[in-house]
This record gives sequence, structure tokens and C-alpha cells, in this order.
Amino acid sequence: MVEWQFTLLLLSNGLLIGLMYSLIALGFVLVYKATDAINFAQGEFVMIAGFVVAVALGAYGAPLWLAVPLGLAAMVAFGFGLERVMLRRLIGRPIIAVVMATIGLAAILRGVGPLTWGAETKPLVLPISDEPFILGPLFVPPIQLLGASVSIVFLGVFGWFFLKSRKGIAMRAIADSQQVAMAMGINVERYFALAWAMTGVVSALGGVIWGSMLGVDVHLSLVGFKVFPVVILGGLDSIPGAILGGLIVGVVENVAAGYVDPYVGGGTKDFAPYVLMILALMIRPYGIFGKRIIERV
Amino acid sequence: MIHRECGVLKTTYEADMALYPLPIARWTVAALAVLFFLVLPFSVHEYYLSIVNLIAIAVVGALGLNILVGSTGQISIGHGAFMSVGAYTAANFAVRLGAPFWLALPLGGAMAALVGAVVGIPSLRIKGLYLAIATLAGQLIIEWTINHVTWISGGVQASIEMPRPAFLGVEIASQRGMYFFLMFFVVLAVVGTLNLLRSRIGRAFIAIRDHDIAAEIIGINIFRYKLLAFAISSFYAGVTGVLYTYYLGIANYEQFQITVSIDYLAMIIIGGLGSVLGAIFGAIFVTLLPIVIRYAMEALGGLVFSQASVLNIIPNLRLILFGTLIVFFLVVEPEGLNRLWRNIRNYFRVWPFAY
Amino acid sequence: MRRSFPLLLGLAVAVWTTHASVAPAAASHEIVMGFLCDRTGATQTVGVNMCPGAQDYVRLVNAKGGVEGHRIRLIEIDHEYKVPPAVEAYERYKKEGAVVIAVYGTPIVYALTQRLTEDRIPGTTPGFGRGDATDGTRYPYIFPIAATYWSQGAAAVDFARQQLGGLKGKKIAYLFYDNPAGREPIPVVEELSTKEGFQLKTFAVPPPGVEMGAQVLDIAQRYHADFVIAHLFGRSPSVSIKELKRVGYPLRKVVSFVWGSAEADVEAAGGWPAAEGYHVMQFAGVGTDYPVLNEIREMYKKEGQPAPKEMTSTVYYNRGVVWAAVQVEAVRNAIRAKPDGRITGEDVKKGFEKIANFTLGGLVPPLKITPNDHEGGGLVQIYQVKGGKFARETDWFSAYNDVVAKHIKEAGAKK
Repeated sequence: MVEWQFTLLLLSNGLLIGLMYSLIALGFVLVYKATDAINFAQGEFVMIAGFVVAVALGAYGAPLWLAVPLGLAAMVAFGFGLERVMLRRLIGRPIIAVVMATIGLAAILRGVGPLTWGAETKPLVLPISDEPFILGPLFVPPIQLLGASVSIVFLGVFGWFFLKSRKGIAMRAIADSQQVAMAMGINVERYFALAWAMTGVVSALGGVIWGSMLGVDVHLSLVGFKVFPVVILGGLDSIPGAILGGLIVGVVENVAAGYVDPYVGGGTKDFAPYVLMILALMIRPYGIFGKRIIERV
Repeated sequence: MIHRECGVLKTTYEADMALYPLPIARWTVAALAVLFFLVLPFSVHEYYLSIVNLIAIAVVGALGLNILVGSTGQISIGHGAFMSVGAYTAANFAVRLGAPFWLALPLGGAMAALVGAVVGIPSLRIKGLYLAIATLAGQLIIEWTINHVTWISGGVQASIEMPRPAFLGVEIASQRGMYFFLMFFVVLAVVGTLNLLRSRIGRAFIAIRDHDIAAEIIGINIFRYKLLAFAISSFYAGVTGVLYTYYLGIANYEQFQITVSIDYLAMIIIGGLGSVLGAIFGAIFVTLLPIVIRYAMEALGGLVFSQASVLNIIPNLRLILFGTLIVFFLVVEPEGLNRLWRNIRNYFRVWPFAY
Repeated sequence: MRRSFPLLLGLAVAVWTTHASVAPAAASHEIVMGFLCDRTGATQTVGVNMCPGAQDYVRLVNAKGGVEGHRIRLIEIDHEYKVPPAVEAYERYKKEGAVVIAVYGTPIVYALTQRLTEDRIPGTTPGFGRGDATDGTRYPYIFPIAATYWSQGAAAVDFARQQLGGLKGKKIAYLFYDNPAGREPIPVVEELSTKEGFQLKTFAVPPPGVEMGAQVLDIAQRYHADFVIAHLFGRSPSVSIKELKRVGYPLRKVVSFVWGSAEADVEAAGGWPAAEGYHVMQFAGVGTDYPVLNEIREMYKKEGQPAPKEMTSTVYYNRGVVWAAVQVEAVRNAIRAKPDGRITGEDVKKGFEKIANFTLGGLVPPLKITPNDHEGGGLVQIYQVKGGKFARETDWFSAYNDVVAKHIKEAGAKK
């Protein structure tokens, strides 16, 4: 194969996988945008959703049209419940408290998942082929195409939601200032619960798509580590930022693996985005689209 | 610590800052010294000493992390990596140059302090979540470096076999010998931290934690003290790494991955942020938790579950309890075990006259 | 608070007494065997199926009257793939008088090597690295008892040679998980590339290895590898199957090391038809058709229970059985020398070094462990995904023993 075609394939692969990272990052951004909470358990959310769908499909033989909504419903309920039991009590506490609480939550979920559904890897088979579409010099795997389209659809839906819908505007008001929003008669707690439920929805679809890529077991939660460079690069509170951050991370990873690895003799793929992220933190910590009100020292 | 006083009768700052606020505190410390250096090591089985040894190592690391997180209000998810920096530095000095432990240990700590200060540089510009993620990146970058630079890691297997520490020409190999070796550093770390926190530096840290802008206005050089906090805290982490290396006889980078950073954060949160006693409690608690759960489940779990499922339940239960405790303390008792301890002490301080 | 105190005290006493009632049994004839496991950490998907295999085998031995009349007590402790809990567990085994310990996990192997040697307790580490521990004179108490990564690398190259009909001028890709265990075989494979005259290129997959589009693309479309040797862990083997397929690389030209070779990897990659052709390397027999497995099923039947679901994951379950069986065999050899059953770690070490022609109906490779060779020959089998199951491709074999031996020797000389 000629070099330019290889490069092109690397780029297309990076863009598609990047959009799949965005899907995970979206859940993180939604919660941060609305509630200022940081979710270090995003990967575990995805894992739990994957477990629910895979078990419904596999062990109970449910059809797909039932299993996926079941996963969605479970994650929405989970998001609501979590906000009520745990996160509401942490409002206004220092950031480390929320960070550590979600790290603790991650440990709980990593214990509950295998204990409830068994630790062995479960296949999550979607009725789509593994054979790639051939588009000129490119070939595109259907699952990545699905992931990318889901991300783009969510971008559109949430973009519309935050810009146009009444609830979305209320959420933005809360993000700006909780006190003022409360004074304007917005039920802040209800919107917090809504934000966590929305994260549940995104995580559920992330779980289905990543679960079908990797198979479902505790390792599925590792995709959570991909979130941080994505959101820092894009901007913590920006939905287009999550998409763009995902694209950047995807492309950087692929280019690093294709062109840097041979010289370093090791895998730079998961390492390069973090280096990029450190640079971004130094130069533009609020990210590409983030609000410029980062608390500086 | 365990004494009861009958009122605050201090008239000078010296008295308020004293390490032993009352004469009886000296006796308490003396009694603890006798317990830990004479009674305990010669009365219990080596197995229990090995647990105490693990706790001892954890105490040093937790104290160090607590200086950064609890006292200065910064955050680090990279302490596991700082430990590995200390471990590999000491291992390289000990193996290549034959450095004895009293040389390798401070060198490991110093190198970790240096690296820690560099990773802490972003703290000058950013804080909170951003700093957490920056230190997470530090963790991954250090891991990657040690993993790939064979000059540091001693070969593709990234592990260096460490000679046993020798004291006056005698090799320390048994758990009992290790106990004394480790306890020496625990005492050093505890006294060092207590003194640090009541010194000018320690109070500057606390001022920065409580309100950084106010601290700057009263003349604290935030730039210097934040980096100093990172450096001191990483020094402790580095020493912890070296102690692990001596204790296990090997430096291996997989011992210091991100789960270790999280375990240490859990220790100081469960123990109580910003308190020396809390860090010690936290280290004890987090180390003992899985052991206690296992013994309890081995004894009682068979009554409820089948033998095969007990083996699956024990470890998962431990994970769940570990997470639940972190969340519980954060939500219900942010000051951790230290607060519970104080509550108990205050209760007995006036007991039996409640008012 | 005060009311709950007697309750707590009662609980503590209950724990203590039940525990104490177990302890004295260790007095005379019981053989204590330590078994570290990981059911919650980084390798839990392996542990949850492998450790029950070991448990069941020991139960079977006890049900049949023990080893030469002595019962075995297997103490399994989960360490979450972390070193400090493993150290605590090790000290507990020592206290309980364990005469052999199964050491699960590469970092744990490294962390415990010195103690095992000092305390003269043999530790077995099948598939967990330390190629240099094959040298029994240097590591007298570490027993890999299965093909190390070095032997696996040599065997994989040999298999590629068989498949390609000669290696001269061919292109081999080594796709590896970028951690010490993943890099361990590289020196051996590199040396073989000069020896056999093939081109070698390594492709690193950094942890967590959930995505490797670029590496796989490179292998298939830029490097045009003739054969791929994959050494991956966790979920990355199934990702590699999927992605290799996606870029149109034939899976029959891929051979995976032992940790990317289970049923779960194939199923997670999209099922058996999707992975048709994929080659896997095994250090224990695969499948359900072995006499000892029938005996275990029989044992469960007698107890009125269904066979455990772990048995369906034959790759890992069988490895657990093999692991325990080799340990039991070493204990058996030790007891034959000391029929009163009061054996020590040293006796079991000698027992290991007497193991020969112990195959358990084909489940265990025909190991021959000697004081010099603690690996037992480095034997593996290659299976292929064919028609919905793993079909055996080769018999037990090892290759390039001289090259592997040279590396073992060099590793010994370096220190």
C-alpha cells in the first residue's frame, strides 16, 4: 500500500475511534456542565450498562429491542438513585471529596458487577456485520460507524437541548450560578437528578457499543481512562468540545502509533494524549471550547 | 493522645505549640515506645509482625500524602508513581554502586521529591479537578518512562533485585528485623510530620489550604510553598517506595500503579484529612480491612453460602466495602476516623460526669 | 454504642473460636497448600475460572482419600493483583505451614521470589513470567512448571516456520502488550530472527489495549506481515482478533500466546465463526474430554450438584486443574520419600524435581522437571479455532531449546 493511503487510513480510523471516545466523554461533560461534579466512575457506568445489556441478551435471551431499552432504563434509574443517595450530599464540598467519592463508587461498581452477573467475559453481539464497508481507499467497520453516528446524534440532541429547550436553558442557568437559579424558581435538585439520568443514557449506549467491541467484563471500565485527555482538550463543560477532543485524541493516538512507535520502541498510543493534555493544561487549561472561568491561582 | 487534661491553661505560644502539651503526654509516648519496641515484637508471631510491617510502610506514605492533600489542600493521584521513582533510584544506587540503606533511602526520597516538585508545577496555575488530572497524567507518564527506559528499570522485565538492608554489618532479613528497621522510619516520619506541621512551613501550608489568596496577602510565597508541599510529600512517597523495595527485596514497577495512589488517598480520607493520627488510623484501617473481612468470611461465610461462592464473595465484598467506606466517610464523617476517635476521647474525658 | 459492644465482642469471640477450631487440624497429617488468586483485580477474568479448577482438583484428591492417605488443605487467598495483600497472604501461608504455594501474577512472583527462597518454600508460577527462573540452580524454589514466555516465543516462531514452510526472508510481526511481561520474549524472538533469517517488527499495544487500529493496520497494509505472533492480555486479544479481521488479515496466520487463547477471547471477539482460523498456544489441554475432568463431574454428581459453570471455560479451568495437579504430584513424590506426611518445603522441592511422565490423561504436558530445569521442558500445544471449538493442531512440542537455554544462562550471568 502506498504511504498516503496508509496515512489516510490512520486518520479515518482515528476520527472514527475518536468519536467513540467522545461518546464516553459526553457522559462526563453532561454531569460537569450541570452539577460541577466530576465523575471518575464514568468507565464503571459504561461497564454496568454493558453488563445489563449483555446479560439480558445472553443469559435471558431477550431480543435486542428489549435489551437496549432495558439497559437505558436501568442506567437512568441508576443515575437518579445515585444522585439522591450520594451526590446530593456532596454538593458544595471540596472538589477532592467528589473526586474521591466517585473513585469509591467506582470500586463499589467493580465489585457489584462481577458479583451480580459473574466475572467471566460476556459477549455482546449486535446484529451488524464485522465486515468493513469499503469506501474508495478507506474501509470502515460498521460498529465504529454506529458509534460515530450515535455520538453525532447526541451532539445534535444535546446541543439542541441546551440551546433551545426550557429544561436545557434551566440547566445552563444552574451551571452559571446555582443561587441565582434557585432564586429564579428553578428546582435545582431536580435538574441535578436529570443531569445524572442523562449521563446514564449516554453511558448505556456507550456500554452497548464498547461492549460489543470488547466484550463485557470488568476491563470494559478501562475505557474511562480515555475520558480525561478528551475532556481537558475539548473543555470540561462543552459538548462540541467533547466531540472535538475525542477526534483529536483519536487522531493523535493513531498517528503516534503509526509514526512514533517505530522510533521509540514502545507503545506511545495511550501516552501521547496525556502529554498533549499536560501541554494543554499549561497553555489553555479551560480547553478549546470551555468556559474561560477556570479558577486560577 | 490518650491523656485527659482538665482545661486549657496555656499562657504562651511555646506552650501551645509544644509537642507534648502535658507531662502525661510524655508518659503516653514512653508507654507506646515500650509497647511497640519491647512488648509487641517479642510477643507475637512473625505473621502478625508482617502485617504490622505492611502497615508501617503504609503509614509513611499516608503521612506524606496527607501533608499535600490534608494540610496544603492540593491533590495528587500520582503518589504511586512517586513511590516507584524512589524505589528505582534506591535500587539503582544499591545495586550499581553498592550504596547502603542509609544512603540509598534518602537518595530515593530526594529523587522522588524532585520529580514530585516537577509534577507539582501545574499546581501553580491550576487546582482542583485540573490538578487531579494533571497528577494522573504525571502518574501515567512516570509509569511509561520507567517501563521503557531500561537504563532506569534494569532490563525489559523492569525489575531490579535489591540486596537486603544491613545494619552494622548484619543483614536484616526476618520479619522481626524488618519490624525494627521499618519502625525506626515510622517514628522518624511521625515526629518529622508533627514538627513540620507546627513549624512556619506547616502553618504556611495550612494557610494555603484554608484560603490561598488570603495566604498570599499575609506574605506567604505560594509558589514556593506549594512546590515545597509537593516536594516534601513526594519525599515521603519516595521513602515509602524504598521501604517497599527493601521489604520485598525487589523494585518492580507493577507494584506502584494507579491503584496504589488510590489506596493511599483512601487511607487519608478514611483516617481523616489533615491529621497525623488520622493518617496512621487510615493506614491501619485500609491495610487491615481485607484481612479482617477474609477471616470473618472464612469463619462465618460458610454458614450462609457454599464454599465455592465464598471464595468469589470475599474479594468482591472487600471491593464493595472499600468503596462504601470511602463514600460513607466522605458523606457522613468528612473528618474520618480521627474524628470518631476524638469523639470517643471527649466522651471519656469528662466521664462519668457528662456535664 | 455501648449496647453494640457486647454484640461485637460476641462476634469477635465467635470468629476466634470457629477459626481456632479449624487450626489444630493442621497438626499431623494435613498437607497445607497455598494458592494465591486474583478474582477482583486486573486479571480477574482468568482467576474466576482458573482457581475453581484448582479447588475442584484438590477436592477430588481428598475425596479419593488424599495423597497417600494424607489430606490436602488448599487455602486460596485473593490478592486483587496487588503486592501488599499477597505478602500478607504469603506470611499467613508460612504460619499455617504451607509446603508449596501457587504464586499468581507476575508482580507477585517478583515480590515473593526472595522470601520463597529464604524460607525454602517452593512457589509455582505457570505462565506468569520469569523466564530466568527456569534455572533451578539460581532460583531453587521457583518452579515455572509450564512454558515461560521465552519458550512460548521460541515455540511460536517454530510454529510460524511450520506454517510458512521456512522462515528465510519472511516477515514476522510481533504484536505485544506493552508491559514487562509483554516485552519479555522479545530478545529471544529477535535472536531467532537473525538465526533463521526472517524480518521481525514489533508492534506495541499499550495498556489498557482497548484499541489497536493503527498497529493492526500497519501489520496488514504497510508491513505486510507473513505471520503474526500476538502476546496480549486482558481484553486486547479479542480486540486484536476483531481488528485484524477488519483490515482483512487472515486469522490463520496469527498465533497467540497463552493469555490470549481462551474461549472468552473468541466469544468476545464476536463468536466462533468470526474467529475461524485463529491459532492459540496452550500449556494445558483444552476441552472437556479428559478422564480427570470426568471424575470431577462424577464427584459433583455424587454430591447431587450440577457441574460448575466454570468448567465450560475449559482453557482456564483446565489450567487450574493442571496447576494444582502438578503441585499435588510434587507433594506425592515428597510423601513417598517421607510416608509419615511430615514434609517440608524442601521435600516438596525435591518432589517437584522428580516429576516425570505425569500427564493426567493428556491434560498435563509430559513435564520433566529436574534440578536444573524447573520449567519442565517448555512444552506447548497449538490449537486452532475450527468449526466452533478449539481443534488441536500440534502435539506437545518445544523449539529452539538451545537459544532459550542461552538466554537463561545469560540472565543468570548478568546478576
